[in-house]
Amino acid sequence: MQAARRGYGVTKQRRTAIIAFLAVALCLLPKPGTGQAETVSDPLQPLNRKIFWFNEKVDVYVLEPTARAYDHVVPDPVQTSVTNFFNNLYFLVNFTNSALQAKPTDAGRALVRFLLNTVGGMGGLFDPATSLGLPLKFEDVGQTLGYWGVPPGPYLVLPLLGPSNIRDAVGRAGDSALRVYPYFVPGYVSFGGTVLEVVDFRASLLGDIEGARKASLDYYIFVRDAYDQRRRALINDGTVSKEQEKELYDVDYDDSE
Amino acid sequence: MTLTTTTRNERMSGNGQPFPYRRILAGVSVGLICLLALCGPPPSSAAERVPKQVVKDLADHAVEILRNQSLPKDEKRTELEALAYANMDFQTLSRLVLARNWRRLSKAQQEEFVEEFKRHLSVTYGERINDYKNESVQVTGERQEPRGDYTVQTKILRGGPGDVEVDYRLRQRDNQWKIIDVTVEGVSLVANFRSQFQEIMANGGPDKLLRLLREKNERGEPLKS
Repeated sequence: MQAARRGYGVTKQRRTAIIAFLAVALCLLPKPGTGQAETVSDPLQPLNRKIFWFNEKVDVYVLEPTARAYDHVVPDPVQTSVTNFFNNLYFLVNFTNSALQAKPTDAGRALVRFLLNTVGGMGGLFDPATSLGLPLKFEDVGQTLGYWGVPPGPYLVLPLLGPSNIRDAVGRAGDSALRVYPYFVPGYVSFGGTVLEVVDFRASLLGDIEGARKASLDYYIFVRDAYDQRRRALINDGTVSKEQEKELYDVDYDDSE
Repeated sequence: MTLTTTTRNERMSGNGQPFPYRRILAGVSVGLICLLALCGPPPSSAAERVPKQVVKDLADHAVEILRNQSLPKDEKRTELEALAYANMDFQTLSRLVLARNWRRLSKAQQEEFVEEFKRHLSVTYGERINDYKNESVQVTGERQEPRGDYTVQTKILRGGPGDVEVDYRLRQRDNQWKIIDVTVEGVSLVANFRSQFQEIMANGGPDKLLRLLREKNERGEPLKS
C-alpha cells in the first residue's frame, strides 16, 4: 500500500516537473521574427552568464589545476588509454543513436569497434579499430532529436556541466541512462570513474581552452557560438545549408534587405 | 606521319579488324584541343597553384618551422606570421567577420579594424607555438563551393585519440588562392568571431569594438621585432 502510494507520489512529482519544464521551455521559444538568423537564441543570457561565470571559477580553481597535475604526472600513453577506455564505454550510446537515426553503417561500425577494442584492445585501453579504418563517431540523444528535426531551443549553461540547450539537456539524461555500466559497478567505482573521466577530458583540452580564453573578446559568446556550430555540424554530419553558406561567405550578404 | 605508320601496321598485322578511323580521329581531335588549350590562355603566373597545393605547401612549411628545434620561439613566430600573412586574405576575412556591421565603420575604422584583427590573430595564435607536440597535417580532400571558392579538408594527426578536422576555405584574389576562413571540427572562425563582434557592436558600436581589440592586443605579448 505504502509502496504503491510512494510510487504514485513519484510519478506525480515527475509529471509536475515535466509540465513545469515544458511550460518554461515553451515560454522561452524564440518568437518568430525576432533575433538574427546567425545568432543563437539566448533569452536567459543574464542567468546563463552568471552560471557560466560560476563554472569558470570552478574550472580555474579546481578542475584546471587538477587536470594540470594529472597531465604532469600521468605519461601520455596512459592518458591515451584512459581516454580510449572511457570512449569505449560510450559504445551503447553511439550504437543506439546511430540506429535511431537510421544509420545502419554507423551502428554496425560502433558495434564492430566495441568488439575489436574490448577484445583486441584489452578491455578498451587500446583502440585498434581506428587503425583499421573504423574511427570513433560520437552520436547522442541530443543529436538524434536534432536529426529528426527537434529545434535546439534556447541556449542553456548548466551548472558544472557547461554549455547546452533545452534539446541537448533532455538528451543528456537519455545518454546517461544508456551508459549502462554504472548499474553494474558499485557507486564509488562509477563516481571515481566519472572523476577520472572528467579530469582526463579536461587535461586533453588544456591548451585549447587556454587559447580560446585568450583569443576571444567575449568568451561567453565564443563558447555559446562554438557549442552551437559544433552541435549543428555533428547533427548534419558536416553539411551546411545553402542559405547558411551564403550568409557566411557572401561579402555583400545583407539579411535586412 | 604517325597516322600512316599506324595504318600500315594495322594492315600488315592483318587481324581482320576494320581500321579504327574514328578512334584515331577522336584521338587527334583530343590532341588538337589539348594543344590549343596549351597555346591558348597564357598561364597567368608560374606560381599559380591549385587550392589543395596551397594548403599542402602551407601546412608542410608550418610543420617544418614548428619542428625546427634550433629556432627560438620568437623567430618561429615571426616566420609563421609571415607565412600566414602571405596565405590569408585579411581584407575579405575582416569583411566577412563584421558582415553587415562592416558598413557601420568609417573608411579609417575599417582600415584600423583589418590591422587590429590581423594583430589579434597573430598575438593569440602565436602564443600557442609551445603547445606543438609533433602533430602532422594530412590533406584529405577538396570541395568546390559557390562563388568560385574551394574548401580544402585536412586532418591534424595528434598521434593519439582525437585527430582534429580542419577545413580551409580559399578564394581567389589577384590570381592567388588565399584563405578566408578556417573551420575546426565544424566551428568556423568567421562565424565565431562574427557572433562575438555582433554582440559588441550591438552594445557599444564601432568605437567599443576597436577599443576592445586594441586593449586585448596590447595586453597580449606583442611580437618583438
